[in-house]
Amino acid sequence: MLKILLPSILLLPSTWLISPKYLWTTTLSYSLLIASASLMWLAAPAETGWSFLNCLMASDPVSTPLLVLTCWLLPLMILASQNHLMLEPTNRQRTFISLLISLQIFLILAFSATELIMFYIMFEATLIPTLIIITRWGNQMERLNAGTYFLFYTLAGSLPLLIALLLLQNSTGTLSFFTIPYLPLTCSDPWAHKIWWTACLLAFLVKMPLYGAHLWLPKAHVEPPIAGSMVLAAVLLKLGGYGMMRILIILDPISKELSYPFIILALWGVIMTGSICLRQTDLKALIAYSSVSHMGLVAAAILIQTPWAFTGALILMIAHGLTSSALFCLANTNYERTHSRTMLLARGLQTLLPLTAVWWFIATLANLALPPLPNLMGELMIITSLFKWSMWTLILTGLGTLITAGYSLYMFLTTQHGPIPNHLISINPPHSREHLLLTLHLLPLLLLILKPELLWGWSA
Amino acid sequence: MAPPIYSALIISLGLGTTMTFASTHWYLAWMGIEINTLAIIPLMSQNHTPRATEATTKYFFAQATASATLLFASISNAFLTGEWDILQTPNTLTSSLITLALAMKIGLAPLHSWMPEVMQGLSLLIGLILSTWQKLAPLYLIYQIQPTNSNIFITLGLLSIIVGGWGGFNQVQLRKILAYSSIAHLGWMILILSFSPPLALLTILIYLMMTFSLFSSFMLTRTTHINSLATTWAKIPILTISTPLVLLSLGGLPPLTGFMPKWLILQELTKQDLAPIATLAALSSLFSLYFYLRLSYAMTLTMPPNNPAGTLPWRLNTRHNTTMMSLTTTSTICLLPVTPAIMALLPF
Repeated sequence: MLKILLPSILLLPSTWLISPKYLWTTTLSYSLLIASASLMWLAAPAETGWSFLNCLMASDPVSTPLLVLTCWLLPLMILASQNHLMLEPTNRQRTFISLLISLQIFLILAFSATELIMFYIMFEATLIPTLIIITRWGNQMERLNAGTYFLFYTLAGSLPLLIALLLLQNSTGTLSFFTIPYLPLTCSDPWAHKIWWTACLLAFLVKMPLYGAHLWLPKAHVEPPIAGSMVLAAVLLKLGGYGMMRILIILDPISKELSYPFIILALWGVIMTGSICLRQTDLKALIAYSSVSHMGLVAAAILIQTPWAFTGALILMIAHGLTSSALFCLANTNYERTHSRTMLLARGLQTLLPLTAVWWFIATLANLALPPLPNLMGELMIITSLFKWSMWTLILTGLGTLITAGYSLYMFLTTQHGPIPNHLISINPPHSREHLLLTLHLLPLLLLILKPELLWGWSA
Repeated sequence: MAPPIYSALIISLGLGTTMTFASTHWYLAWMGIEINTLAIIPLMSQNHTPRATEATTKYFFAQATASATLLFASISNAFLTGEWDILQTPNTLTSSLITLALAMKIGLAPLHSWMPEVMQGLSLLIGLILSTWQKLAPLYLIYQIQPTNSNIFITLGLLSIIVGGWGGFNQVQLRKILAYSSIAHLGWMILILSFSPPLALLTILIYLMMTFSLFSSFMLTRTTHINSLATTWAKIPILTISTPLVLLSLGGLPPLTGFMPKWLILQELTKQDLAPIATLAALSSLFSLYFYLRLSYAMTLTMPPNNPAGTLPWRLNTRHNTTMMSLTTTSTICLLPVTPAIMALLPF
């Protein structure tokens, strides 16, 4: 575990001491090296237990895919940010890269934490670098509002979580992931137990986000620069899912009835946000709402707690992370050329940028869950397990799949097909950097078709 | 101000608080507090502007009222129980009265109205002394009363956290914002005082460190208004990184040091079966976080090449001694991982 954490921490002094000429190439290659080294976590002994242990950190089949995704994402973020940061002074570039690296450090510590308070502190610690990326380097005035919404929605959900964890520690004496599943949990007052249950889950539901508490997400995904959107969509939302998976083990048996409203809200959110996507004009907002839609499915699956549901949720989280990040990178290629997020301004791109059209095609197909991509694997397992839980959910999930296909195709057809508009006089051809970025996103997604056992979590 | 007079006043400030610390008799404690008040009055009005005079007068009235109440309560206690010893204040009526008098001395809600207006009229250095040094003696006396009934402390604490947060919402003057932040942090201290006095000691020490750091940043750039914060990037660029982190630490965000007292206080409150009060206190501290965040927006997050929020000022003298400020700023940002060591040092 420290083999990956210490090099990540030491990337920080490297960023500040490298000469400006080699800053981007060195940070990119070092972070790619760390990412390849992190693949060793996938070779853990195939049991349901913990591996790579030390006193404070460990990895198990649920956290390993998320850890690898986190480490994989840092070189991609550095690659994506290079263009728009080139014109800034060197110290600002170093600060930006340091923020990305510190996010990676906090995320590694969060996903590998073995104790709930450590997880909580790292969960909250990811807020500060993300806030600074959104509000300092965003491009529109709305970014200040976005940062405020992001910070306060997450904190309002997570302060009750802190108190719930402290209460749990009082009654069980420990908060370690190793012992907590086996300790008896007694709470005398039924009302207090229900409020404690809600306090435990609220932070993660807001982070995922659940449909009713999702207002921070469109703002926070649209305003930051590309690296901020990538990390938010790919990893930070999954923190909520991961936390929910960990803590639901402790929360039985009242979860059976208390989770009903949240499951229904999540499924309803799939349809509602999907419908919003059908009428969006802003490309990044469309991808943001599509994130809410997919994470609604994940939230519902985690709340029903069956093995297939957990597996489907984990697969969908990883697949959606890669897909959503790829879509944001594609939206960024549009943004860098037209400096606008409006979809109609950059349409007909299949003729102008044919190679990028291939990436748009693959990413769109991944978003609408085409077989045999892992997105479909995850969605199908979730839909099946929800159907077993209650057959009426099939209406909601089936309709959701239909709407997802609808807006994904709408996005593809608007940006790629159709006549070239008259105002696109000269568009820069795609850079090799952009092709490399999208390859590094979509190639793992395609390779995961061949070995999905890496993502199956505890069912492996 | 002439150096002999200035040094006499500073020494009297130190003497007053030390007398209160060293006393076991209520008269001596009261005398120490009075010496403190009298010594700081000339310091407050030293630049003789009408605003400073107004602040001094308001401070004097508030403190005189509180001292008179304190004297009255301690004499009543001696009358009713025959005890002048501070540690032996068993009578509930008089100990509540003493608590309220001392609460007015330090500016806890609902006895806080004098605090923002007084702080606004002072220079930043004297404001720093007011928020840090002047709180020590009364807090020590409250600590020593060894209260049995915690209701009054919980009420004072919760009200102060809420008022400290809500009151600072609409402020643009930095000194008023610092006054409300002081009220909120004192609320956290009082909240835990009846349950775990060492935690209150930890909170005040960390608060002293964070406030010193923040006041020093403002003194370095001589800013007293949110608008002038926007010029910090042109004067001392490193402050644009450190001051937002200090502000977020004051707001209690992990992984910064300011999270440590809040975490430990919430832990103690849940151990005492006061989880709803803990939740209310935690959520109310989000109010103060809002205006700390607004200060960091003004300072850092709207820097060029985005549209700058202010015009560039004259840069005058450049010699600064930043030893203490760098020590306290580093501690404000990096001290959370040493929480176990700090908890081992305090007498728990």
